[in-house]
Amino acid sequence: MASRPALTPLTAIARPGLSFYPGLVVSAILLALTGAVFTAIISTGLEQDLALSFDGVGRLLAFTTAQAMASTLISVLLGTLLAWSLNHRRSFPGRRVFLALLSVSMVLPTIVTALGLISVLGHNGWINQIYHGLTGHSGGLSIYGIAGILVAHTWLNAPFLARGLLQRLQGIPVERMKLAASLRLSPWQRFKIVEWPALATALPGLAITVFLLCFTSFSIVLILGGSPNFNTLEVAIFEAVKLEFDLTRAAVLALVQLSVCGVLVMLATSLPQRSSAISPPSFFHMWPDPVAARSLQGGVIVIFVVALVAPLSAVVFDGLQGDVWGMLGEPLFRQALVTSLGVAGLSSALCIGCALAIGVTRRNLASPLRIRQSRRSWLVGWLITFMGTGYLAMPSIVLGVGFFMIFQSLPVATDFLAPLVLILANVMMALPFALVIFTPALQKSARRYDKLAFSLNIRGLARWRLIDWPTLRPEIGFVSALAFCLSLGDLGVIALFGNRDFTTLPWLMYQKLGSYRTQDASVIALILLLLIATVFLFLPAVFEKRRHVKS
Amino acid sequence: MKTAILIVTLGLMALSGNPTHGADKPVLTIYTYDAFAADWGPGPKIKAEFEKTCGCVVDMVATDSSIGSLRKIQLEQKNPKADVILGLDTNLADIARETGLFVDHGADTANLVLPVAWSDAQFLPFDYGYFAFVYNSEKLPVPPKSFKELAATPDNFKIIIQDPRSATPGLGLLLWIKQAYGDHAADIWRGLAPKILTVTKGWSEAYNLFLKGEADMVLSYTTSPAYHVIAENDTRYRAAPFDEGHYMQIETGAVVKSSKQQDLARRFMAFMISDEVQALIPETNWMLPVIKLPGDLPPAFKELHDPEKSLLKSGAEVAASRKKWIAEWQAALR
Repeated sequence: MASRPALTPLTAIARPGLSFYPGLVVSAILLALTGAVFTAIISTGLEQDLALSFDGVGRLLAFTTAQAMASTLISVLLGTLLAWSLNHRRSFPGRRVFLALLSVSMVLPTIVTALGLISVLGHNGWINQIYHGLTGHSGGLSIYGIAGILVAHTWLNAPFLARGLLQRLQGIPVERMKLAASLRLSPWQRFKIVEWPALATALPGLAITVFLLCFTSFSIVLILGGSPNFNTLEVAIFEAVKLEFDLTRAAVLALVQLSVCGVLVMLATSLPQRSSAISPPSFFHMWPDPVAARSLQGGVIVIFVVALVAPLSAVVFDGLQGDVWGMLGEPLFRQALVTSLGVAGLSSALCIGCALAIGVTRRNLASPLRIRQSRRSWLVGWLITFMGTGYLAMPSIVLGVGFFMIFQSLPVATDFLAPLVLILANVMMALPFALVIFTPALQKSARRYDKLAFSLNIRGLARWRLIDWPTLRPEIGFVSALAFCLSLGDLGVIALFGNRDFTTLPWLMYQKLGSYRTQDASVIALILLLLIATVFLFLPAVFEKRRHVKS
Repeated sequence: MKTAILIVTLGLMALSGNPTHGADKPVLTIYTYDAFAADWGPGPKIKAEFEKTCGCVVDMVATDSSIGSLRKIQLEQKNPKADVILGLDTNLADIARETGLFVDHGADTANLVLPVAWSDAQFLPFDYGYFAFVYNSEKLPVPPKSFKELAATPDNFKIIIQDPRSATPGLGLLLWIKQAYGDHAADIWRGLAPKILTVTKGWSEAYNLFLKGEADMVLSYTTSPAYHVIAENDTRYRAAPFDEGHYMQIETGAVVKSSKQQDLARRFMAFMISDEVQALIPETNWMLPVIKLPGDLPPAFKELHDPEKSLLKSGAEVAASRKKWIAEWQAALR
């Protein structure tokens, strides 16, 4: 598979309809929006005096980078281990539910995850309580400090990484696995020769996403860091907007953050991508691994199930202490639920559209059989990659203020704009995740089917129906769930637009938390958790339903 | 694509709630923080009471925080919407004054019974409270009685505080220690550093961690125990009286200069310190009224610690030195 026979020269194959316009247009819109956001903020800020001081920003940047790198490294190691184990243990009770739960941790509102983790690992957490019950001494386990930041970031991101990587592993063609088995490759050799190349196509994208998430993490870093000195750049930006109202400083800090992240995105995307064949997920029965490997896989899965489920069950447990039925009957809750579901649905659909446009264009640019490499295509390629990822580095408070300023100049009531802005922001937030999932699948489908498709002149909708849709269906299912739930759990930018007729579930939860109504808030957290888990359990299944019939 | 646009448009129309305003009544728009405007907060009741007599419609617009309301007004300068802002504490009031966006409230302040003298023409107080460390009396029978005692507790004694850069109680604590100890504030902070379990972004996270039993005390208000008594019938929670006195938070409101309904806005300001509104404050906003109520305070409020010494720094002083003090605080906790 490594060496392909020489084919007809590229120019001899008709390659109609391959342009970089869909992705370019979407990226251009995103770029224009970003430009408008910064212009609006800076032009407002200029009315103030320009006394920019960046004391401590270097230190902040150094800590933020180190913390994010460590978090990413641990998440990648553990995520890979889990994905490998899950790929080899294809049937155990509750596997489907566990797979759905893998995505939950990342999309929950940060305060819910923080409180869940603290219920288990905190001073008065379950582990310390069990220790106290057994020994009579008070347990000394403390989650606060750098360790807490790393634990939380790993808990949030490793499962998501595993979910993304598993998708790649399941895409390894059956023939390869059969070949590996008949060559009697050891589990390690098989990992190195067969599985690693498949992982390597998705790993840079996933790792950079996780890095950016940790880089911009704010609430978790404060709550679990234990000290104001463990801060990220986001907190400085928040301070500049809220406390000092120094919008220029906020914009400059946001630009610093965007540039640092931009460079990283560029580095990660310029890594050579190794090719790897693809097929729809294969579920054939694997030859049994050696006992040692099987025990390792089993152990890894058990540990992850416990580690993932314990904080989530703490959320469930806390929620059940409250009045769940009473909450379901509250008109304000129902209104927030409807709003949240509506916003999430629209965001999810729009996000898939934008992500496919960018992903398809990126594929056109990256594939050797398609648009030829040139300086211009490299630039376009980088632009759409950056625009598709960069929003992870955009502080939501800057986005919020920027949108607010832009819409100030429009003759429309802000009541009408709140949902629009929320949806826009949610689409931008979910886009990087969507691309990280779509890109490897799209590129591999191109590598596998392009020659055939071009020579048979399958194009346009026919190509989509016959080739891309069947190969992408699991990814689309997963991304639609992910985008839906990211939006569902987002508090994000509506703070400035808030009015009493527009409330989302996380917003309602924060309101309750902010006025002693802890029980109500934990009921809402429980409902959010159940909603998100349900969506991850069933939405991908809707898309995958007909797979077995077709292939 | 056209269907997509149609769906989005329809969705947006369905989502953007249409507040039903009275046909030709004037609308009084009030910006405030979310807990004030929430269903269970004082907002809806004040709205209903005022609408009985004003011949107007009150529209309460909630932002995530009181500072958020101020920033929103500043950002809307070209296209002002707010008539009144509610919820600025004294530190914020001074920042707000600097913007020049507010005018005199014109209310008669003779009836105010605040622990400090009040003579501000623009910012009218409508409630107040004291910052305090709240504890669970079942777990902690004898709480520390001062910052010095707190610093002298064993190192497994833990408190939770908020970041002064993102939360008003956090800033309150900073000023509290600053006013009580002046140049020695940093020493107190160094003594407190090992007791600080964590510093949170907002009050909500801190208070929740405390309720989960994570720490012995949490920075909150002297009025917090009243909520637990009245709403939950739970008498375990107390606020620890400190010998240094307690730092105050006074919440004020103001009339926006660009408002086209100055008279209505001024009538509303006067209404905020009327008996009706002030009687609502304790059990909806969990703060203390600024006038002597004709009736009694709820019994749970009479049990609360009433500090003999009230500390408060002027907004101007805070504005001038806040950055320096925050840097000092950060250095002391390093």
